[in-house]
Amino acid sequence: MFNSAWNFSATQMQAEGNMRDAALGCQVAILLLLFAFGVLIFGMADQGIFSLHGFLIALVAGFGALKLIDKLTDPDPIIPLEYKDDVIKFGVLACFLWGLIGFTIGDVLAWQLAIPSWNGDLSWSNFGRIRPIHTTAVIFGFGGNALIATSFYVVQRTSRARLASETLPWLVVGGYNLFVLLAVTGYPFGITQSKEYAEPEWYADLILLITWVAYLYLYLKTLARRAEPHIYVANWYYLGFIVVIAMLHVVNNLAIPISFSNPKSYPLFAGVQDAMTQWWYGHNAVGFLLTAGFLGMMYYFLPKASGRPIYSYRMSIMGFWGITFLYLWAGSHHLHYTALPDWVQYLGMTMSIILLVPSWGSVFNGLLTLNGAWDKVRTDPAIRFMMVAILFYGLATFEGSFLAIRPVNTLSHYTDWTVGHVHAGALGWVAFITFGAMYKMVPWIWKREGIYSLRLEAWHFWFALGGTLIYVGAMWNSGITQSLMWQPYEPSGAFTYAFIDTVDAMIPYYWMRAIGGLLYLIGALIGAYNIYMTVRGADLPAPDPRARPLPAE
Amino acid sequence: MTSQVHDFVLYFSKTFGALYLFSVFLIALVWTYWPTRRAMYEDAAHSPLGQEEISNETRN
Repeated sequence: MFNSAWNFSATQMQAEGNMRDAALGCQVAILLLLFAFGVLIFGMADQGIFSLHGFLIALVAGFGALKLIDKLTDPDPIIPLEYKDDVIKFGVLACFLWGLIGFTIGDVLAWQLAIPSWNGDLSWSNFGRIRPIHTTAVIFGFGGNALIATSFYVVQRTSRARLASETLPWLVVGGYNLFVLLAVTGYPFGITQSKEYAEPEWYADLILLITWVAYLYLYLKTLARRAEPHIYVANWYYLGFIVVIAMLHVVNNLAIPISFSNPKSYPLFAGVQDAMTQWWYGHNAVGFLLTAGFLGMMYYFLPKASGRPIYSYRMSIMGFWGITFLYLWAGSHHLHYTALPDWVQYLGMTMSIILLVPSWGSVFNGLLTLNGAWDKVRTDPAIRFMMVAILFYGLATFEGSFLAIRPVNTLSHYTDWTVGHVHAGALGWVAFITFGAMYKMVPWIWKREGIYSLRLEAWHFWFALGGTLIYVGAMWNSGITQSLMWQPYEPSGAFTYAFIDTVDAMIPYYWMRAIGGLLYLIGALIGAYNIYMTVRGADLPAPDPRARPLPAE
Repeated sequence: MTSQVHDFVLYFSKTFGALYLFSVFLIALVWTYWPTRRAMYEDAAHSPLGQEEISNETRN
């Protein structure tokens, strides 16, 4: 694949060229199949939005196929002797775009709950239809793009190798964002399989499956080309994320579509088996997408930004194995006091409690990495983002283990406490570590002197922290209030409070949540502006060639 | 998949599967903390802090 930029013999170049053509041929074949798939849906669909989705699939796949066919006929390209960062730039921009969409819709939902008349009394604008737009946009759009972009950055730098393909990374980010787009545009029209965090229907799931296999292949192939003897630990976490998400996605989305003319499908599982499969998926999406992937981000960007090595490298490896071992069994804590066999519930509870050990191992490992660099927490808002992210990770994992205990779950389940817990993790951990990493990575990949404005970065931090604390505090209070009002009985056996009394009691907390969310959104807008201005800024001056060392004689 | 098959798979994964993964964890623990590997991991920890630019020498 590499030619004149590298010191290769003619035979090696010929072999690389043949391999490149074969790889391109495979990619073209897959894209043409997807094109045909899209055309089939477009032609057969019995509802407008499904037909539009078919058109989108055909459009994106057809465009990709044409570009690749064009490359097939080109002479072998000259691959520059540098990392492949253009695709990372796309991922960064997609991350912020989906983030802003997701945060905005999240806050709209929060206001709808505070002021119910804002639901608009329309089918597409009610809570049930737009809530998954929020979750998909923030988890998969914002979080997923952040992980793909940073993983491409980290695997190249820690392997000292360029990504193993020039075209496959674009298929990965293109296919992935197509999946998110199909998902969020289908929900308002009722296209959902009604599985939390796995709402997209079969045709979108197929797009993600192909994309994910390509992602795994690309990541492994890049690692295989590494010039470093050791695979840096962040790559282990990223690989754990990629492999487990592939497994979860396939199993939880096993379903039979009713036809090519309709988006509806029926899952292979039913009843409590379906519930167990769903929460095995759901909790491990938390464990391997929202935890392992972002720990990979932390284990690269925190040492890099602070100039300190990981406090205990070996503990980071054990943390990886601990999380891998334990998370897979914890999902059943979502189904306490249900038809699920008791022993499965107790196993889930036990594993969830033990999970605190590797989780807090990572927390201390992260915080102690800052030893000798604590002054940077005060002066560098990106490191402050990362430090607070670790604190929220510690808080959310402790809370998660606590909520998984069955008697505690009787108090917390179905209440807003769960919502507060999720957002402590999502806003405080996932988004904070992402913002910290992005504020470092963006100037590096766009070759800028630094971020556009440290002052704006600091404002973003304080808005985000204030918003998160208000949000999470409000949900803790509302959740515990709900539970305490739902549980008491009168001597006659009747509930002490009618359900509507508990709804009324939530109003002040829902206002607080909406205000907290608004602060978070304002912070994200400031962040997006800062990133935009950094991207638009001037390049670093080219190094003076006279300053280079003389070649050895 | 029948419910009996599902229940069997679930039981198997939550018993023998758990023991299998716990064994993998123990092997990883011994492997990672084996004294002769200490230097390698200390070098690896410094990996992001060094020169990261790509060059002809780094391509294998």
